[in-house]
Amino acid sequence: MSAPLVLLPSDEVPREHLPSNKSNPLRLGPGLRLLSQPTSQAGDSNHVLTATQAGLLTTDAKRNTVSLLSFPNRRYVPTVNDLIIAQIHHSSIDFFHCIVTPNTAHALLGQLSFEGATKKTRPQLKQGELVYARVQSVGVGAGAEVELTCVNPATGKADGGLGPLVGGMVFDVSTGMAARLIRASSASPDNTDAVEGLVILGELGRKLESLGGFELAVGRNGKVWVDCSNAGESAIAVTVAIGRCLQETDQHNLHPHDQKKLVTRILRDLKLAS
Amino acid sequence: MASTAASAPAVPSLNLPPSQFARLQPHAYLLAHLSPPSASTQPSVRANGRAASQFRVTSANAGSLTHTNGSAVVRIGDTAAVCGVRAELLHTADIASWSVSNASDEEADSATQKGASQNADDDRNQVQDLHLLVPNLSLSTGCAPGLTPGAPPSTLAQSLSHEILSLLHTTNLVKADDLRIWYQPPNLESEEFRNAAEGMEVDSEQNGGPEPEIKAFWVLYIDIMIISWAGNAFDAAWSSVLAALRDTKLPKAWWDADNETILCSDDIADARKLSLRGLPISSSFCSFEADAAAGWRAVVIPSPEELKSQGQKEGSQQRWILADPDGYEEGLCEERALIVVDNEDGKTVILKMDKLGGWGMDSDDLRQLVDVSAERWQEMKQILDQC
Amino acid sequence: MVGPTASLSVLSRADGSASYKCPATGYNILGAVNGPVELPGRRDALKPEDATVEIFIKPGTTTGGVGERATETILKSVLGNLVLGREKGFPRRGVVLTLNIVGGENVERGDSYLTLLPALLHAGLLAMISASIPLSMTLSAALLGVTTSGDIVQNPGPAAAKSVVSLHVLAFSSKGHLLLNESRGRFDFDTWELVRARALSICQGAHDGDVAMGEGENAASVNAFIRETAEDQIYSDYAHKLDSI
Repeated sequence: MSAPLVLLPSDEVPREHLPSNKSNPLRLGPGLRLLSQPTSQAGDSNHVLTATQAGLLTTDAKRNTVSLLSFPNRRYVPTVNDLIIAQIHHSSIDFFHCIVTPNTAHALLGQLSFEGATKKTRPQLKQGELVYARVQSVGVGAGAEVELTCVNPATGKADGGLGPLVGGMVFDVSTGMAARLIRASSASPDNTDAVEGLVILGELGRKLESLGGFELAVGRNGKVWVDCSNAGESAIAVTVAIGRCLQETDQHNLHPHDQKKLVTRILRDLKLAS
Repeated sequence: MASTAASAPAVPSLNLPPSQFARLQPHAYLLAHLSPPSASTQPSVRANGRAASQFRVTSANAGSLTHTNGSAVVRIGDTAAVCGVRAELLHTADIASWSVSNASDEEADSATQKGASQNADDDRNQVQDLHLLVPNLSLSTGCAPGLTPGAPPSTLAQSLSHEILSLLHTTNLVKADDLRIWYQPPNLESEEFRNAAEGMEVDSEQNGGPEPEIKAFWVLYIDIMIISWAGNAFDAAWSSVLAALRDTKLPKAWWDADNETILCSDDIADARKLSLRGLPISSSFCSFEADAAAGWRAVVIPSPEELKSQGQKEGSQQRWILADPDGYEEGLCEERALIVVDNEDGKTVILKMDKLGGWGMDSDDLRQLVDVSAERWQEMKQILDQC
Repeated sequence: MVGPTASLSVLSRADGSASYKCPATGYNILGAVNGPVELPGRRDALKPEDATVEIFIKPGTTTGGVGERATETILKSVLGNLVLGREKGFPRRGVVLTLNIVGGENVERGDSYLTLLPALLHAGLLAMISASIPLSMTLSAALLGVTTSGDIVQNPGPAAAKSVVSLHVLAFSSKGHLLLNESRGRFDFDTWELVRARALSICQGAHDGDVAMGEGENAASVNAFIRETAEDQIYSDYAHKLDSI
C-alpha cells in the first residue's frame, strides 16, 4: 500500500490509488462521488472520483472497494444493512418508532419484524427499551423514512443477536469507534488483539473471565450495549468498568499499550481486580 | 431541459397560457425568454420585457409625510419604499460616557478645521459612537404574499436594516456637525483673558468660558417601510433613505441657559437642510444560470479559467447578469451582487461592492457592473434632483 | 506576522466542531456543527430536495442583533452554497452551524462585520469538515485593507480597520472561484483588482510570483493551512491505522 493519502472536499482520487482488481465492479464507500467531466468530448465518458468530505483514503483490493475514512466524531447517517442499537420512543399500531440518533426523525421498526413474531406473540416493547436491529431500507427521495428490522428477511431468523436487548447498559461512543469495534470483532475472532489497534476488548475479556465474562453489542450509530448479568453482585461495577474503558479509549484515542494500562487502572479503581 | 423550454410556448397542443407556464416552470420560462431559438428574430429579453442591464422605471417623491422632518417615497417598478426621518434631541447630559470622552472630543472638534479627511473620520466616530443614526426597516404585512402578519422582524428585514446603517456609516453621508447643537457661553471674563485665550495656550478647564460646547445632538430616526415588495428591496430602501435625508430639515435649536433646556424655533425659515456628503447610489444585480441544476449536478465544477473559455467558445450563453431583479427573477437566482457608487468630479468612486451566493461572477463581470452602476448613478441623480 | 491556528473536533458532543484563532485580528471563534438533523417546522415550502443550512452567530459578551443577522445571511449564502444538500441522508434535513465569538473585540453596532468575516468563514468551514458534511469544495478567505497611501495591508484588526480607506473581504474556492466579495470604503476598480490578486495569492499560495514577492511571512497559503489542519486531525484520529501500515 502506498503512503497514506488524505483527501479534502473536491480533491480527486488519483487513479494509481484505485484497486486494480478487474473482476468485480469498483464499489464506492461514503464520502466519495463519481463526477463526469463536462469538458471531455462527447461519447468519451470521462469520469472522475472526487471526495466530498475530508478523510483518509482506504482501499480494499480483495473486495475492490474504495472508501474515505472521515472523522470519527461525525453523525451517523443510516445505511442499509448497518447494525444499530435503537431506543423505542413510542409505538403505533403497526410500528415501533425508534430513536437512532438524537434530533432526527424516528426510524420505523415493524411490530412483526421480530423472529417468530405474530400478532399474538410480538414483543411488547415500552418506551425507552432497546433493540438491536438492522437497517432494512432508507427509502428514496427527500424525507424518506428509515426502516429497521430485527430478522433476516431471507431466513426469518434473528441472526447475530438481533432483537430486544434486555438488561445491561448502553454507552455512547463515537461512530468511528463503533465502526472500529465492529471491524475488530468481525475481522478474525481468534486474533482480535492487533486489529484496528484495539486490544481493549481482548484485555477486558481476559481480565473479567473469572467474573463471568460479558456480552457486548455494538451499534453503528455510536452505541455500545454491555451486559454482565453473569457477574452476580459486581455486575454493575463490571458494566461500568467496560463502558468507561471503551469511552476513554475513544475520547483519548489511546494507543494499544495505553489501553492495557487503562484496563488495569480502571479495574483497580472499581476494586474488580486483585 | 433548455430545448423543451424554448419550444414549449410554441406548441399549440399544450395550450397553456404564458402566465401559467411561468408559474409551473419558472426557470425554463425565463431561460426561453433570454435565449430565443436562433431561427427566430426575437431579441434576448427578460420575461418582464427588460433588457439584461435595464433598470425598472423609478420615481421618487419627497416630503409627502408632513409629521416628519423629512420623508420620501421611492418606487422602483412594483417595489415601493417609504422613508420617514424624525429628529429627536439627545442631551449630552444624558450620554453616560460624555463627560469622560468630552475632553478628547473637544480636541477633535478643534481639529476639524484642519483637514477635510480628518473631519470625515471624526464625524464617523461621533455619529457611530453615539448612535446618531437609527435606521429601521420593516417589511409591512401584505407587501409580498409570503409574509405573515404579526411575525417578528424577518431575517431579511433585520439584515437590510443593518446594511443601511452600515452604508450610512461607511459613506459618511451625514455630517456630524449638522447634528450638533452648540452653546457659546457668554464671556463673563475680563478683556485681558480674551487676549490670553488668543494665545491658545490657556487651559480651557480653568475658565470654562468662551470655548463653545456641545449641549445636545440631533438623533435621526430613519424608518423605512417597504409597502410593496417585488424584488430588490435594498435599492428601493436605500434610495428612499437618500431622498428622505436630502429632504430633511432640522429646526433651529439652541440652549437656553436660563431654563437649562433646548429650545427650538417653530419658524420654517429658520430650519436648515442637512448637507450630505456625496450621493451614493446602489444598484443590485443577480446572475441567472442557464443550467438550473448547476449547483448540484454530478459533474466536475469547471475551474475559473475553464468557465471563462467556455463562455467565449460556446455560442449559447450560459449566464445572464440581470440588473434590478424583480421578485420573480430573484427567486431563480442564487448569485447576487450589490454595487454602490458615487461620482466625484466625473470620476466614479466605488463605495461598496458585494458579491455572494455563487462562483460565476468574477472581475470581468464586476467591471461591467461598475460601469452599469455608473450609468445608473446619472439616471438616479436626475430622478432625485427632480423630486 | 503569526499565522492562524486551528484545531478540529474540540467538542465531543457536537457532530463536528472547530476552533480558529487569528492572532493578527485577535479573533477566536468556536464553531459547532450538527447535521443532518430534523429541523423544527419542516421547510417543505423551501427546497424539499435540498438540505437547509442554518447559521447562528453568538457574540462574545452581548446578545445577537441585526449585525449578526446580516452576517449570518452572508455566511449562509457562501457556506450553504458549498454544502451538497442532496447527498444521502441530507435532503429535507438541516445542518446547523453555531459560531461563537470567544475572543477578540466586539463589533460595534452598525459596524461592518468585515474584520470578523474570514475568521467566521474559516471556523465554519473547518467545523463542517469536522462533521463530515458533504461539500463540493473548500474555501479560503482573506481580509485586506487599503491605506491612505495606497498600500495593501493584510488582516487589519478592528482598530486598524477604522483608519483604512477601503476594506475588503474576499473568499475563493479551492479551485480559485471568487465566492464572496465584500468591499467597503472608497476605491476604484483598478485598486480592487490589485486587492483581488493579492487576496488570491494569500488564499492559494503565491504562484503568480509578482504580488507576494519579498514577503517572507506569507509562506503558507490559507488553503494549505486548512488542508494541514484537516490532515493533522485525520492522522491523529487514525494513528492506530497508520501505525500498522
